[in-house]
Amino acid sequence: MPRYAMVIDLQRCVGCSACSISCRNENNVPDGIYWSNKITETSGIFPNVRYHYIPTLCNHCENAPCVRGCPTGAMHKLENGITMHNPKKCIGCKYCEFNCPYGVIYFNWTNPHKPWKNREKVLEGTTSPAEEVEKVGGNTIPYYNPEREETLAGIRPKGVVEKCTFCDHRVKRGKLPRCVDACPADARVFGDMNDPNSKVRQLLGKFRPFRLKEQVGTEPHVFYIRDFNPANYQPSKGGI
Amino acid sequence: MNPKPSNRLFFPWLGLLGIAILIGLFAAFKLLTEGHHLFNANDVLIWSLPLGVYIYLALASSGLTLLASIPLVFGVKRYEPFAKRLVFLAIAALLGGFISIGLELGNVLNMVYILFSPNLSSPIWWMGTIYSIELVVLVLKFQRIHAGDWSSTTSKTLGKIGFLCALIAPLMIGSVFGLTESRVTYFGPLMSIYCLLMAILSGSALCLFYNLIHAQITGNGLAEDKNSLMRELTRIFTGSLGAVIVLTFIKFFFEGSTVIPEFLNYHKYAQVFGSIAGMNTEVVLGLFLPFILISIPGLRYNNSTRMLTSALVLVGTLAMHMEILLAGQSRPVGPKAEQFPDVISYFPSIWEWMVFMLSIAVMLLLFSLGERFLKLEAKPA
Repeated sequence: MPRYAMVIDLQRCVGCSACSISCRNENNVPDGIYWSNKITETSGIFPNVRYHYIPTLCNHCENAPCVRGCPTGAMHKLENGITMHNPKKCIGCKYCEFNCPYGVIYFNWTNPHKPWKNREKVLEGTTSPAEEVEKVGGNTIPYYNPEREETLAGIRPKGVVEKCTFCDHRVKRGKLPRCVDACPADARVFGDMNDPNSKVRQLLGKFRPFRLKEQVGTEPHVFYIRDFNPANYQPSKGGI
Repeated sequence: MNPKPSNRLFFPWLGLLGIAILIGLFAAFKLLTEGHHLFNANDVLIWSLPLGVYIYLALASSGLTLLASIPLVFGVKRYEPFAKRLVFLAIAALLGGFISIGLELGNVLNMVYILFSPNLSSPIWWMGTIYSIELVVLVLKFQRIHAGDWSSTTSKTLGKIGFLCALIAPLMIGSVFGLTESRVTYFGPLMSIYCLLMAILSGSALCLFYNLIHAQITGNGLAEDKNSLMRELTRIFTGSLGAVIVLTFIKFFFEGSTVIPEFLNYHKYAQVFGSIAGMNTEVVLGLFLPFILISIPGLRYNNSTRMLTSALVLVGTLAMHMEILLAGQSRPVGPKAEQFPDVISYFPSIWEWMVFMLSIAVMLLLFSLGERFLKLEAKPA
């Protein structure tokens, strides 16, 4: 059985957010919820400052606090290591969200995708609800991706949590997670940790990877390698 | 509460509670149909007033059950006049708490999976299960006592199970927070011990306050035997107050002396109700002041002092639960800092106040009906 993991090459990542946009489309992610997100940091003291960008997603931890704490097993591990959620069993206690050290679980505070059904006119004399566009023979915007339904509710209802699933529905069909596919810089590598020949294993052996908040013992399965920093400096003896 | 049959305020009082319950039910309907965006909570400050109220009432219920165990489990006969009322108050408080948590949950109908798909590693599962067992056991125990069965094997066994539940459940509430890796400021066994002590404190405060108010409303005053019991209860109250103060000092000391970044941040925002001389307002007014007042020999057994101190503790403990709950959630975790402010400010929405009102009103309604119809002062023949 594979054990899936992701390596994110921070030297290749340009912070374009294509991962986040494609994730949103693939998984019908509602407004205000981010399965794929980022941490931005500024280091140094002005004028010597630098900007850092770290893409984030569910870490599919080996010792997942969200899974341990879920009272009904709605949040659970698949055999391939993916941390999966079953909204049908979710009581909406939000303990997984409370307990996630990485801030990657969100709660549906209201009915999702309200703008999809919004019939209010932005400009007088114009309108764009799908039914009316269809009536005049136009193509409606394909907001909804039905493929998501293969392993999870296509749209999660209000009152339950949701988070990244490593695009388990695509992985099941031998495809890459959508964020990996969409990355224009090929900064994301996805694969089987148990396969010694997988690219993931090769990269983890070649570089010195780090994971977020390793000290809490959750064993995340999203690894980061390298760093985007083209800066250089003149060598000197002790800075003198 | 326990108004005489002739008391003309009884029905207006019931009417008032009825209005509060109707308003609360409207809030419940809106939450079920529209979702929890009606709360002033978000993906950083996840748990808000209804959860604080649940913790408060559930712990008070455990405290009342533990007090009821003095006569019912440990056989201290002089406490028997309190026993039936204590069991009933514990049931009412726990029901109030369940209403609050039920309306905090996003999908309360899925609660059935607590039974069909249990996760034994989850502190929430243990907390929910033990409190559910406690409620059932308390109701059965009350039914036995009401039928005059104080000492059959079944009745005693129910008392023992209730005692064990009331002892373990507060520890489980503490572990819900104490096992949270993402929020270091909650982490550790201290939260469980704190919750158990808070349970005993709020239970004894509620018992003291309730009995004094009851004597006031009925105009009967406290009978001699009850008066001496109230003196003992005052000592239990003072002792538990002292224990919570010691633990609070230990907590302050640890939080104040560490340089772990999460604690430094926590310390910065851990005074959501402001401070008096550098200490949290709710701790000064809800713990120190009552302790000082109740420790003065001339005031200790004065009814006004006892009523004031127990009222201060009842308000103070709710504030302390809210302070701990909010301060630990005030800063976004990980990438949520990208979409939320550095610090989340919070004031309960009108819907949260309505849930609060519903929980308290149901509890008070049960108190009132119980006093009127269930002979809560009964003791073994």
